[in-house]
Amino acid sequence: MSGRAPWLLQPFIVAVYIGLLAPLVVVVAVSFGPDPNFAFPPSGLTLHWFAAFFASPTFVAAFFRVSLVVGLMAAGIATVLGTAAAIGLVRFRFAGREVLETFFLAPLLVPQILLGAALYLFYARIAVGASIWTLLLGHLVICTPYVVRCVTAGLVGMDARLEEAAMSLGATRVQAFFKVTLPLLRSSLLSGAIFAFIISFSDINLALFLSGPQSTSLPVHLFSQIQWQGDPTIAAASTLQILIIGMLILIVQRIFRLRLMV
Amino acid sequence: MSLQSPAPHPNPLPASGAREFPENGPRAFPLPVGRGEGQGEGQATATRASARPVWGVLTGPYALFLLCLLIVPFANVALYSVHPYSPTHIVLPEFTWDNYRKILDLYYLRLFARTLQLGLVTTIICALLGYPLAYWLARARPRMQTIGLFLVIMPLMVSTVIRIFGWIVILGRKGLINEALIGLGLAPLKLLYTETAVVIGLVNIFMPFMVLPLMSAIERIPPSLEEAARNLGANWLQMFRRTILPLSLPGLISGSLLVYSVSISAFVTPALMGSPRERMAGQQIYDEVLVSFNWPSASSLALTLVLFTLLLMFAALFATRRAGRIEPGSRETSP
Repeated sequence: MSGRAPWLLQPFIVAVYIGLLAPLVVVVAVSFGPDPNFAFPPSGLTLHWFAAFFASPTFVAAFFRVSLVVGLMAAGIATVLGTAAAIGLVRFRFAGREVLETFFLAPLLVPQILLGAALYLFYARIAVGASIWTLLLGHLVICTPYVVRCVTAGLVGMDARLEEAAMSLGATRVQAFFKVTLPLLRSSLLSGAIFAFIISFSDINLALFLSGPQSTSLPVHLFSQIQWQGDPTIAAASTLQILIIGMLILIVQRIFRLRLMV
Repeated sequence: MSLQSPAPHPNPLPASGAREFPENGPRAFPLPVGRGEGQGEGQATATRASARPVWGVLTGPYALFLLCLLIVPFANVALYSVHPYSPTHIVLPEFTWDNYRKILDLYYLRLFARTLQLGLVTTIICALLGYPLAYWLARARPRMQTIGLFLVIMPLMVSTVIRIFGWIVILGRKGLINEALIGLGLAPLKLLYTETAVVIGLVNIFMPFMVLPLMSAIERIPPSLEEAARNLGANWLQMFRRTILPLSLPGLISGSLLVYSVSISAFVTPALMGSPRERMAGQQIYDEVLVSFNWPSASSLALTLVLFTLLLMFAALFATRRAGRIEPGSRETSP
């Protein structure tokens, strides 16, 4: 370390990291332990709770039929919406562009629990019942800003003259976009899509309001299971989510800038 | 494993940050700041003729989407908030300010006071624990920084419920800490369902919001400044107080405002780890919407909280913008 900070710094950092990671480590450990009372450290090693997870229709439905499906759809749609918006913002100059830019990132400024409540009351007003689709629309609100951010960063980091060169060589604007810009934006697009998926997949604040009985997402199901003090199947489901998200973040870190996250 | 990406980034971003658009593009003339959610039509006259409203076609769908699912829902909340509540009809078609006046009742004042206080305590602890971590990350070697950053962001991305579940296992009556206490022959403590538990949970969950803006701010302070201060005879503490701390202040301010505004609207943490008697504003709103169906009251609370939060967020944005960057975390370090 170049800072030559005091010797106390390093143990302090280790302690903070332990505090940050402790809950995840405990959840993963408990999911492999045999004790139904969440004993830590586990007294043995078993895959019992994972079997229980896959045997439970409610868990399987929440994980595979709701969270995964909504997450993938949200990622796909948010990527299209957000990429178009980002290109419009970066490659064109127009009155009110900065206002529009702030507006596009506004969902990140609104507390999610309040956004969830507002959407719930809005759906109630127009008499739309909770389903996978209400959840999807809600998730699109909070996912798309991340795509806008990633693609904006990618576009700014990219030389606009490449597009101009393509166009001066006879390509139309559309051709230049699909043949030059899009391939160059690949990694920011993928990162944006992954962020969008993760945000949707791990969201609880919106889902608490927007999931119906037939569209309970995994986090909401976990929430009620924790309240009713279920068994370590909760931990097994959590471990699966941690695993998926961890791998996706590793991918983003390899191809793009993780810091766009906050 | 490195942050360097293959082809798509021939030029690392300029230090000005990702959202600072380069001004090399042909810019027509000083443009007035217009309405935000234009759909493209009718504004083409203000744009360069060659650009036409293509930008409208590109940005229009998302703008329209946000209009329908962000602006309209909150307008609906504002509308609900000025109608009286009726146990039979939920909302009566009359106008009233009572829902806002009611916020000054002792019950709601206490609720808000507790919420704001827990938010403040959370923010202070996040700053105290997060500052050293941010400093270490900012000054770490690229490889260590990559790993360190992963370990900060990874927990942030996992669902809040799961992290809180972890804390319940650790702090619970038969949890890790109490088992250890019993093992040592001591009496178990009531850790869970207290305000302390809520603060522990909030600090754990929102720490990254403090660390990342701070880290970016500290990274922009050249290490040579530290060395200069040391060479001129300052000890580490003096150097820190006179150079690093003041220069990283914008990062500290924006991190603090971020943490504060997300903590005061927390729901899952106090719902699962807090005492039912000491609730936070988010829980009250949740209950009034989904349990007691007092939508007018919930609306007035939600609108008050959202306006307060937006105020804080714009203050955070302003703090970082003054420091020459728009958003925390968007800057790429030059390798």
